[in-house]
Amino acid sequence: MAGRRWVRLLAGVVLVFALAAAPGVVSPFLLQFLINLFMLAILAESWNIIGGFTGYASFGNVAFFGIGAYTTGVLLTRVGLPFALALVAGGILPMLFGALVGMPILRLKGHYFAIATLGVAETMREVVYNLEFTGKGTGLVMPILRSPLPFFYLMLAILLAVTLVNWWLSASRFGYGLVAIREDEDAAAVMGINTPLYKTIAFALSGAFTGLAGGVYAYWITFIDPDAVFKVIITVQLIIMAVFGGTGTVLGPLLGALVLASLSEWLSTHLVTLAELSNGLIIVLVVLFMPKGLSDLIRQRTLTLRYFARNLREYRI
Amino acid sequence: MLTLQVLINGILLGGLYGIMAIGMSLIWGVMNIVNIAHGPLIMLGAYITFWTFTLWGWDPFLSLPVTILALFVYGYLLQRLILNLVVRAQLFLTLLLTFGIEVVMVNLARIFWSSDLRQVTPSYAGANFAVGDLTIPYVRLWVFATTVVLSVIFLLIMERTRLGRAIRATAEELRAARLTGIPVGHIYAVTYGLGAALAGAAGAMWGMLFPVTPIMGGALTLKSFVVAVLGGLGTMMGAIVGGLVLGLAESFSSTYLGPTYPNAISFGLLVLILIFRPTGVLGRRER
Repeated sequence: MAGRRWVRLLAGVVLVFALAAAPGVVSPFLLQFLINLFMLAILAESWNIIGGFTGYASFGNVAFFGIGAYTTGVLLTRVGLPFALALVAGGILPMLFGALVGMPILRLKGHYFAIATLGVAETMREVVYNLEFTGKGTGLVMPILRSPLPFFYLMLAILLAVTLVNWWLSASRFGYGLVAIREDEDAAAVMGINTPLYKTIAFALSGAFTGLAGGVYAYWITFIDPDAVFKVIITVQLIIMAVFGGTGTVLGPLLGALVLASLSEWLSTHLVTLAELSNGLIIVLVVLFMPKGLSDLIRQRTLTLRYFARNLREYRI
Repeated sequence: MLTLQVLINGILLGGLYGIMAIGMSLIWGVMNIVNIAHGPLIMLGAYITFWTFTLWGWDPFLSLPVTILALFVYGYLLQRLILNLVVRAQLFLTLLLTFGIEVVMVNLARIFWSSDLRQVTPSYAGANFAVGDLTIPYVRLWVFATTVVLSVIFLLIMERTRLGRAIRATAEELRAARLTGIPVGHIYAVTYGLGAALAGAAGAMWGMLFPVTPIMGGALTLKSFVVAVLGGLGTMMGAIVGGLVLGLAESFSSTYLGPTYPNAISFGLLVLILIFRPTGVLGRRER
């Protein structure tokens, strides 16, 4: 098992180098697609820390994204900080926000937690909508950077970092602690795990990476407004990617992001008006036929229709 | 006098929130499904009424039984054919599934009815009467009266009939209910159907007060949710009380604080209640 782990890591390193060389080969269009894909993968992997490993279904991760985007945006345009500093702040502020908001709401469980986070995200959207220095509803315009390369490498670096964190969680004391909380929180507490602290750190970590992605997004897309960066649909999208790929696994969310982003790209160019409708249908079909995600599908030695039939039967009444 | 007017407006609106939330609370309490597709069910009710009103000129109040029946059948089939397949899975999955259904419904509505704002405007839509300084629109009063009647009918079904007992038994203990011969798959479908019927009724009346669009459901799902949690899950009276609380909170905040923070208020209320009283105002301890 340990050997397999290192082989995988090696394969990962090779893949990262191959991706780093990609801008030299691919078309500008594909490059933009890759930046977007990396961003979605970061969001899905970040969510995986709190939603997958810890088992707390956050429906408000878009709040971190929006706060990161706005922190970076405001510091860049209103304060005139260099982008590097603004971006760092765009990671730290969502992290603090996650810790602060997490302390009370992580006491809630299940649906209650899910909706409280949704409420926090919606409230943040309205707050930003009404604040003077965020440009209210009209949004913020960033200076334009001609080359997409910095964004490509930044997204790639953040994606690498968040994936490594997930990898670390999959085989560390802290990560096992989170999984223990997911499986049975009371038992975890009895075993001596400081559950409030663990959960808060997980939520803050999730917030930090999501916020960083938001910061890069703001500068890349050059225009942000509250409706664009606090959209509930973003949260839902990233949860679907994580669930589709397989929650609580290191590579599942990556895989989910890759497959679904490619699919939706294809749908929006070929079906245009029906793209969103087909997206909805895909969600329904995925939940019905492969509720355990792609990584479970790949783990099957032989793939037959029986696998889908078994999934369909498993949770029915 | 203004305060009294605001109070009345809040209560009249609260009734509508109440019956939306009864459906939400019922589906959640019995099957542990947070029904993200609740708003679109309300939307569907609104569009059915819009159609019967514009195509055939039916009065929106008199066509209520038709809308309710249509939504009941729709909800029954949705649960029986699709939701029952994953109803025992963990919460992500049912949540995601209802979300997927939401997306499909909203986009189908775009195709069928376009994104234009629609409204149901019977001849008496603008009429109102005065009591002293207070103005009370007829439509709002009748809407409120109808929500009271519907709530009472619903409570009677739940408390006094064999069906209601079967639903409550299934909610209490699925396996035991099944052992006593209750067809749980059918009961689940009826439960969802009832929830959808109430949502549809709310939608039918919504169209007389506010514009109807394919995306109107999103905010209403959130409101139904807030109200269901406010009042305490699974308690029908709780949903009604929660509806009145939200109606009043919105009415007062938009009068005295301005209309800039409509959702922040209801969500702030929600998060506070969740933290300090996780079982809701009238709620019992969770199973």
